[in-house]
Amino acid sequence: MTLQWFLVALAWASVVIFLVVAIRRVVKINAMPMGLRWEVYPVPHEAPEKRDYGGSYMEDTDWAKKHKARSFKEELVEFLLPEAIEIGTEILTMKKVRANNRYGIWIFSVFLHWGIYLFVGWTLLLIIASLTGSAVLTSISIVVGAIACVLGMIGAVGLIVRRATSPDLGPYTAPVDYFNLIFLGAIFLFGLLSLLIDPALVGHRAYFKGVVLFAPSAVPWAVSLTFLLFWAFVIYMPFSKLLHYVIKYFLYHQGLWDDGFTVKGSAADRRIVEQLGYSVKWQAPHMVSGKTWLEEAQTTATEGDKK
Amino acid sequence: MTGKPIRFKDIARLSDEPLVSLDADDLMPLPPLTDLPELKAPRARWLENYDLSLDGFSDLDIPMPKTPEEKERLVQGFLTGLEKLLDPEQNWTFAKLFRLSMDYCMRCQTCSEACHVYLGSGRQEIYRPTYRSEILRRIYQRHFTPAGKLLGPLVGADVEVNFKTVWRLLELSYRCNICRRCAQVCPEGIDNALIAREIRKLFSQELGIAPAELLKKGTRQQLTSGSSTGMNPLALKNSVEFLEEIIEEKTGRKITIPVDKKGADILLIHNAGEFLSWPENPAAFAILLDAAGINWTLSSEMVGYDAVNYAVWFDDVELARIALRHIEIARELGVKKIVVGECGHAHKALCVVADRVLPGERTAMEMPRESCLPLMWDIVKSGAIKFDPSRNDFPITMHDSCNVVRLMGIVQPQREIVKAICAQPLREMAPYGVHNYCCGGGSGFAIMDTLNFSEWRNSVSARMKVSQILGAFGDVLDPGIRKYVIAACSNCKGTLRDAINYFELWDKHGIWYGGLADLMVNAMVDLPGPYIEWNEEM
Repeated sequence: MTLQWFLVALAWASVVIFLVVAIRRVVKINAMPMGLRWEVYPVPHEAPEKRDYGGSYMEDTDWAKKHKARSFKEELVEFLLPEAIEIGTEILTMKKVRANNRYGIWIFSVFLHWGIYLFVGWTLLLIIASLTGSAVLTSISIVVGAIACVLGMIGAVGLIVRRATSPDLGPYTAPVDYFNLIFLGAIFLFGLLSLLIDPALVGHRAYFKGVVLFAPSAVPWAVSLTFLLFWAFVIYMPFSKLLHYVIKYFLYHQGLWDDGFTVKGSAADRRIVEQLGYSVKWQAPHMVSGKTWLEEAQTTATEGDKK
Repeated sequence: MTGKPIRFKDIARLSDEPLVSLDADDLMPLPPLTDLPELKAPRARWLENYDLSLDGFSDLDIPMPKTPEEKERLVQGFLTGLEKLLDPEQNWTFAKLFRLSMDYCMRCQTCSEACHVYLGSGRQEIYRPTYRSEILRRIYQRHFTPAGKLLGPLVGADVEVNFKTVWRLLELSYRCNICRRCAQVCPEGIDNALIAREIRKLFSQELGIAPAELLKKGTRQQLTSGSSTGMNPLALKNSVEFLEEIIEEKTGRKITIPVDKKGADILLIHNAGEFLSWPENPAAFAILLDAAGINWTLSSEMVGYDAVNYAVWFDDVELARIALRHIEIARELGVKKIVVGECGHAHKALCVVADRVLPGERTAMEMPRESCLPLMWDIVKSGAIKFDPSRNDFPITMHDSCNVVRLMGIVQPQREIVKAICAQPLREMAPYGVHNYCCGGGSGFAIMDTLNFSEWRNSVSARMKVSQILGAFGDVLDPGIRKYVIAACSNCKGTLRDAINYFELWDKHGIWYGGLADLMVNAMVDLPGPYIEWNEEM
């Protein structure tokens, strides 16, 4: 029973650790200074008539004068929704990889990622099925679990092979990258085995009922191993670059798509004024070390400025 | 080409032998051109005095550190600078995007095929957008991350930092045009071009090292003498008189170009290089604005007559200094807005990037900064000037400046103008608009002519653009048919000028280049004759 209790505790602990570490990481990134504008078009939240060809508000004269503050609804519908659709499409279809990657990884990447999405979905289905005892949900769970594990395995193995054999990918693949793929592949492999050993999901449901109700019971070894690996992966993920799907938000929303110009007196303006007060410590001859950024901008860094 | 695969560790190789030796036969083919120029070996004198151990090319007219102490100082300065790049306060301008790009690249190589330098070189590994990033990432992991310090090669932290690593990395940062096509296609939003820029910034802001054309003769000269061209305010006034003479000579019109006119609606700032290399372009602007009845002015204040801000490619502090001068001059003149002439990087620097290096009263709301292209389209739409498209009855293609399209989203106004003033439909390059390829002169390459760098630019980084131009004119390559490549950007024009000469595109195929304003004036009904001067007439 010790192992069963451990698996129950691990499930809860992994979710808590994941949330704490991931949220901490996100908060830390979000708290970093607001950077300079550095957008790349097309930007999804531009006006619909400009969006398709990558146009921007700067195609019009007097764009700054035409500025008006957005309501919350406009912010949501006209700004965040198109971004969410664009990011969501990329996450689900990996269209940029498909269009631009010539190293044969698109299909395996899609399989691997869909394997992960479906595996998470399978876990949620198992929780609900274990609590409700629904035969329909159990049947759906079998199908979802099987598809998840098959897709995930093909994806992981395919990517390992591609990375190991391609002269373009191999040198860029560090041992830790193989470790990540093997880790994921193992979860899918044992997930598939657990389905073969426990095709009616009796043991799977018993495990999740035990997790939710803190009442562990004995389950088949393959079920134990699958979820031992899965929870370990959930813990590992936020410490690694596998959190990239969350980071995408910052790289796009606060980077490539950040086309907002500063309005005097706005929160952004206040933040920039604060940042302009940071002390400059760069040491090149044309820097005047010790001044604030704003003071630096007001000098020409000739000898007179340095006295 | 050496033939041996390049490994990341090779960057630290102590030999002076280049990591790759480029051969013209290995570069991307350029049909229908044959007998392409061979690449010349570096001069023996350069090899004695400079470090060409990356690829046999360099623009860095900087004597190499000789003693072990000097080399060690450079290495330590590099590591200190890298630490500052990672510091949210010292690098508040880009620390977030830089850090995330370092930490979250999945190394899928999706960006490689987007890079014109990589493709143009015949897919040389060292020019892959991820190669230089991966070198820096491995150094960063080894020196600045717990995982790298603990696990080393297991997480890829395996590149040694010595003098050669540092110098080759510096050179590598100047093998990227920072066109950011790689960022555009990245499924994660990783910006390898930004990483190249940040490497440049480290060298400039910490060590004072940058190509002379960008720092010493670029931003430093602009801030202390008035212009990166060396043009002082008096020379500007002479140039303006020269423009007025050109206008009278070519159009018969006597126009007084307004300079330092208080309270004008628009302060127009050109790339000062236009006054010297293509005076017909600022002259064309003067003709158009005068004919359209626009209340505008030039400035004769130091920095105020040169829109360039080379620092946008390599130095945030210099960027802020120049942008601040531009805006202060406009405020002192009391103009309603600044309009940037046909200069791509100046567009992005002043209208976009500078927006957050200055406090409230200098933001775009308080002193608007705009591209000249929407204004020119407004002039056409207004009907204030009559254009006769039949005066522009020759095949035309358009080179999009990356800074104007991909990095600002200004795509349609210039196309609408062409539609209105040209007889033949615009021949779009493939791809075009926000997906265009860089001319090969972006991020300073256009003006970097020290040692043998211009040969690399012509043969490698400009290669894709030449291929696109040949493709756009594929069915009219007969040299008897004059063809015009629109390039509404000074640095793009400079690159095209050199590439056209290098590949003999005028002699072989009748391909020439010029600005958009020039083409507009060429179509003005009430002017006596053609305004554009083709190569043979110059």
